[in-house]
Formats: sequence, structure tokens, C-alpha cells
Amino acid sequence: MTLLSDLRQTLGNENVLEEPMELYIYSKDASLMRGEATFVVFPQSAEHVAAVVQIAGEHGVPIVARGAGTGLTAGASPTEGGIVMATTALNSVEIDPDNRTAWVGAGVVNLDLSKLAAPFGLHFAPDPSSQSACTIGGNVANNSGGAHTLSEGSTTSHVLGLEVVFADGEIVILGGQAPDSPGLDVKGLVVGSEGTLGIVTRALVRLLPVEPEVRTLLLDFPTVEAAVATVSEIIAAGMIPAALELMDQRMTVAVENWLHAGLPVEAAAVLLAEVIGEREGVESQASQIGEIGRANGAGDVRIAKTEEDRALLWKGRKSAFGAMAQLAPDYYLHDAVVPRTKLVETMRKIYEIADRYQLTLLNVFHAGDGNLHPLIAFDASEPGVAERVHQAGDEIVAACLEVGGALTGEHGIGLEKRDLMRMAFTEIDLDAQARLKEVFDPTGLFNPRKILPEGSRCFDFGGVRREVPEGVWV
Amino acid sequence: MTYHPPPITRLAAESEGAPDAELTVAPKSPHDVASVLRHATEKGLKVQVWGGGTRSGYGTPPPPDIVMSMEHLGEIESWVPGDLTLVVGAGARIADIESKLVGESQTAVLPEVPGVSTVGGAIAAGASALRRGRLYGTRERILETTVVTGDGRIVRSGGRVVKNVTGYDMHKLSVGAFGSLGVVVSVCLKLWPLPPAGATVTVDGPDQTSSVARPLAILEGNDSTRVFLWGTDEDVSAMSDRLDGDSADGLDWPADPSGPYVWSVRVPPALTSQAIRHLPDGWRYLAVHGVGDIRAASDDDEGASDLRVWAESVAGHLVVVEAPTDTLQGFDRWGSPPPGLDLQRRLIGEFDPARIINPGRLPGGI
Repeated sequence: MTLLSDLRQTLGNENVLEEPMELYIYSKDASLMRGEATFVVFPQSAEHVAAVVQIAGEHGVPIVARGAGTGLTAGASPTEGGIVMATTALNSVEIDPDNRTAWVGAGVVNLDLSKLAAPFGLHFAPDPSSQSACTIGGNVANNSGGAHTLSEGSTTSHVLGLEVVFADGEIVILGGQAPDSPGLDVKGLVVGSEGTLGIVTRALVRLLPVEPEVRTLLLDFPTVEAAVATVSEIIAAGMIPAALELMDQRMTVAVENWLHAGLPVEAAAVLLAEVIGEREGVESQASQIGEIGRANGAGDVRIAKTEEDRALLWKGRKSAFGAMAQLAPDYYLHDAVVPRTKLVETMRKIYEIADRYQLTLLNVFHAGDGNLHPLIAFDASEPGVAERVHQAGDEIVAACLEVGGALTGEHGIGLEKRDLMRMAFTEIDLDAQARLKEVFDPTGLFNPRKILPEGSRCFDFGGVRREVPEGVWV
Repeated sequence: MTYHPPPITRLAAESEGAPDAELTVAPKSPHDVASVLRHATEKGLKVQVWGGGTRSGYGTPPPPDIVMSMEHLGEIESWVPGDLTLVVGAGARIADIESKLVGESQTAVLPEVPGVSTVGGAIAAGASALRRGRLYGTRERILETTVVTGDGRIVRSGGRVVKNVTGYDMHKLSVGAFGSLGVVVSVCLKLWPLPPAGATVTVDGPDQTSSVARPLAILEGNDSTRVFLWGTDEDVSAMSDRLDGDSADGLDWPADPSGPYVWSVRVPPALTSQAIRHLPDGWRYLAVHGVGDIRAASDDDEGASDLRVWAESVAGHLVVVEAPTDTLQGFDRWGSPPPGLDLQRRLIGEFDPARIINPGRLPGGI
């Protein structure tokens, strides 16, 4: 039997794509890197997923799981070929309001889950900017964050259980509603593993109560430094707002050009802050944030008066990447994190790097977390520009790591940032991670050559130990 | 007497309260830890890692050959209040670091009444704060770990920033792993600011708390139910007014119940009150509502089997935290084995190939 006939027999003809145009559509995610899908399949159940895993194993063809394809690091691009498994039909949602949890199919759209939970006064906390398109399966794979990660943590803090298909084709349920499942927290390891350890078919997620009150503030500043100092002082005052988001002037102008939300385009930086909680506390926190901002030179403190106004401010923030199209056809985005106290000096370095490479760089980021999103707008058809963009990107990451930062805060490693892993970890660290991968996926069936750079599994301690003298560390 | 080479015997120490073993060592650096573990792996010697000893009753470990005290590995390496991060040696006592952090109005959100327990011990045993319903458990506080594997590799995972998805989350896997993926020697913790005000309100019962959306904790003990509140002055006084009960300033955290037998009952959050009703007569308890974490203690084990049958029937667990030696014969300390035990064994095999670090502590006798 051929691979195609095996897949068709198991899933039905309608759930297997093979036309070149269809395969082309599924050959990349939202990154710049395209792969080549051998076939695209749409499993309708966990059993289907398990069967495809078995078939793929028998034929020695890799599987790349994919939700909505909004990933930014080629994590869902089939760069080694193979079966692209779109999880969109795994769309069941079972909400348990008493326990404030839900079992959610991998293909359910993030925002749809919160909409379905709203009648119970609940919501799903992780809110990536792509939340109206991205799926829960994608969120689990990338351990996605979002603007509200500051107060509630990333996806991993909200996943209580998983239904996963491992390389042997077994469907396993890990974790559950009860806290602290005995044994190793394997589910926690699968979250953020970018489809390289197994295929998640459903997730048991935590839902949080919708807070009684919310205040959204927009502050404008004469300098980026003043905005960043405000962020630090808010946290030093004992507050962790729900969100603290910063846009630089170039970005504000780009967003205002199409949104017409009355954003202060004259300001060097704009800070979007949101506080949630009981009514009394929200009032006092909002006014305290306003005072801290003014003390740092904020000209105007705009407080969203209505839900529409609040939605508009958030739309400006969350659709910032979309606004890029007016500047240039392509953009390249980094996701490095720096310690919050290093934000000002790092921002300065990043602008300096972009200037040196003569590139247009904009910034919109999660300031409270120190999670930068420096964004380079360019036209890939211009000769030589792609190389400059990548060189500048690597320098930006190096600048962030130099001050004690991390490679990626919420987008993941995928293929795009894979080779930068050596800047963040030693050979021994990478070898340990490669061993984990091997335990789950000894034959490299799941999303091969993602996350870990080539040759990570090279440090064979058993082999070299005898040659290393006592007391020397390698 | 096993021959121990000089690099190991140089670390010999006496550690107060630690169990008897042929050799007790107190390493002063991660490299020392690596020397000890490498030696133990070569000779097949079992190592018990010793913090404060407050959670040393889990599982059914064989007697150790070497006790490794972490007392010299408790230094604060860095603390940047503005970054909300603290890098500290695993041997640090929780009480000591919390008393320093409070100077900058911060907390590590580790267990509130820790006694002599250490950061590394809380991570190994997966012990969480009573505030976990609002601020999440210990797992969510871990940003980076440095561990030493059974075969002596020093492995770092994670990073020193509050948000990070670089590589696999191995550091979080250390929580509740009892050192089986390597002895945690240092950790970067995500700190949290302490807001200006706090109050403890005693109410009639856990069903009397709905006027507050997300309190810091709702704790029910044998004698009372208390709601713990924090925030701005306005916030806290408004919330205490809405709750019908006796309010006292400050957060007066209770200690976990103690006794010859200590238990952990874990159920879906909505079944917390039912779990309390299923506790055998005479058990002392402290239940964290909204989480399903019930900490209990008793003088004997009567009724434990029935409680486990009920807990497992609702997808929960009854775990033995501590029991007198030679008791509970035939009663598994963890209950029914969790799914994927073979996978867990293979994972551990990559980090502790001779299975010398705290063997027998995990479910399935691993």
C-alpha cells in the first residue's frame, strides 16, 4: 500500500489533500520559510491522529502538526517534507464551570474558547495577538503568551492536562483536574515542545473568572526611556497590572494611519496599561499609574471610557503587525526577552544596530515582561536586503543575551531561531534537551530538525568520561 | 566499608537531623555535587539528597549509602528587585529568603510556613504555597534551574527572565521529580510584589466567599474557614466589608497539619468540600478551596483505604506524605500508578542512569 492510499483508507478521501496548489498553501506558516508538504491530512478524532502516526511510522515519513499556521518561526512549516497534520477538525469544547476548566480540542480557536466560556463568567487567560485565528493546539505547542501574560503567566500555567498521541501511536491522557498529579509532570514538558514530542489532540485548560472591573489607560511619553521608567516604577510600587504594552513612535504612526483611534502620533512612545480586579482597587491603581506616568513626563493619560474605546485601544496594539504592510511588503520579527531593568540600554542598542544596517525598525512589545518585538520592515525583492535583515537580527539577539536575556519569550524556536540556540546554551545543555527528544521520538517522526540545532546530541558522556581527569569540568 | 576517594571524603560532614548513612557529605559547589554523584554512579551507591528534611517521607526509598546535605549551597547569587528575579542555591531555607525579600516588599510565593524546609526541597517534593489558587504553584515560579545529573553533568535549563520559551521546559520538570532528573543545585525564581495591605477574614463557610472574585486564598480547617485578601488599602477594606465575617489585619497563615501520619488529598477543585466530608473521623486538615489541595494528618491509618477508593473514583489521589516506619504495608504510598510510567522511567534513565538519586521516592517504586 502506498502512503496516500493508507491515509485515504484511514481518514477518507475528503480528509486528505494532494493537489499541488493545496499542498502549497500548507507548506508554510506565518514565518518567511517555506517547506514542501507531501500530503495534508485533517484527522477528525484522536484515533485518526493515532492511526496517521502509525502509518507515518511505517512509511518513515515525518509529521508536522499545524493549527492555524500563525506561528512566526517556521515551527509548522514542513521544511523536511512529510505529512502536514492540520488539527482544525479537532474542535470539541467541554466546559466545566464548577471546576473552572475545559477540555478543548487542539483545533479550537483561542478567542472562540473565551467566547464560549463568557456565559459562565470565565475566560482563557493566554491572549496572543493572533488570538482570533490561532488555535489552542498551537498555543500549547508554542507555550504562547500574549499581553496578559504579565499577571497570569504563559499557556503552560493554564494547561492542567493533555491528551497526546506519542510516537508508538498510543493515546495518553496526562494530568487532570486534581492538582499535582503524582509522578513526573510530562504534560508540562510537552507544552512548548512545538510538536516535536507528540501530537496534542485535546488540552484540559484552566479558565479564570472575568474580573469585576477593568481600566485601560493610554499614556504618551516624550522619550522611550520615560515610558520604560514608568513601567519599572509601576512594578516597584507593588503592582502587577494585567498588561503593560509599549509602542514606539514609528509603530504608533503606522497603526494610527489605518485605525484612526486618536493615538498620539507626536509621542516618542505610547504605553498601554490595563488593571483588573475589584472596583476599588482598580480605581486606585489606575490613578497611581497615571501619577507615576505624569511624574515621568507623560503628556496625556487617556482612560478608556467605554468598552468600545477599550476594544479600539487593544485593536491598535494587537493588529500592529498587520499595519506593517503599508511600510514594506515583508517583515522580520524577533521575540527576545531582557531583564526589565535592561530595557532602556537594550532598546538603544537595537535602534543603533538597525541604523547601522540601514534598516527600518519598529518596536511594539510587552514592556512589563521585558519581552521585545523589534520588527524590521523590508522588501525581500530588493537585492541583498535579506542578508542585512538576518545579520541585524542576529546582532539584536546577541545584544539581548549579553544583558542576561533569552532568545524567545513566546514565539518559540522552530527552525528560524534554531541555530541561535548555541548562543543561549552549552553543548551539555543542548545534549540534555536532545536526549529528551530522543526518549519521546527515537526515530525523528515529529517535526524533525526543529528547536535543536544539528549535532546537539553529540556530548556522549559515557564515551569521554574516562579521558577527562578528575576535577576538570568540560 | 566502601572505599570513597579523597575528593569525596574531603566533603564529609555532619548534618543535623539527617538520616544515618555510611557517608554524609556537604558539597560546597556544583562541581562537588558532580564528583559525589559520579562516584556514586560508578559504585552503584544510593544518594539521599538532604535539605531541611521536612518532606522526606514520600515513597518507599531503600536506606541511603550516602547522604548529601545541601546546606552549603544556599547562597543568593543575584537578586534584582526591579526584574522580579532571584537566583539562589537550592539549599537556601525558604524562611531565610522570604525574610530578606520582604525588605523590598517581594515574595517568592513558596510555602508560607516552611519551618526549616529549603527551596530545593520544595521543588523536589513539588510543595506549593497556600496562595497557589491566585498566584499558581511552585512550578510556575521556576524560571531556570541548574541540575547535576546522576552521571555528573551540570545542566542548565530556562533563563533569568520572567518569560521564556527557549528550548524544552526541563526546569519545570524538576518540580515534584525528587531529584530523579538531576539534583537541583541552583534556581532562578520569579518573584512577586507584596501589595501594601492584607487581611484575614473568618467566614461561616467556603460558600460565603462569592462576593470576592479572586481572593488570595480560601482556607478551610477543622475549626474555621478563612479568606485571605491582599491589594491596595481600598481594595482590601472594600473586600473585607463585602465578606460577612470577622476581619483581622495582615495575613496569618496556618501551618500544615502534623501528626504521625501526614496525607495529601488531591481532587478536582469543585470537590474540595466533598473531600473534607470523606476524611475519616479525627483527621486534622487544611483545605485550599478552588484548588482541590487538602493537607491532612492523623494518628492512625484507619479509613485511609476507603478515602483512597473515593478519591480515585473522582480522578483524584490520596498520597502518603509521611508515615511511621514499617506501617502501611500493602498500601501504596502514591496509589494507582499514573499513565506513562515507562516513559517516565526512560526519561529518568537519561539523567540518572544508575538510578542513584533518591531512588524509590516516585510512583511505581521508581
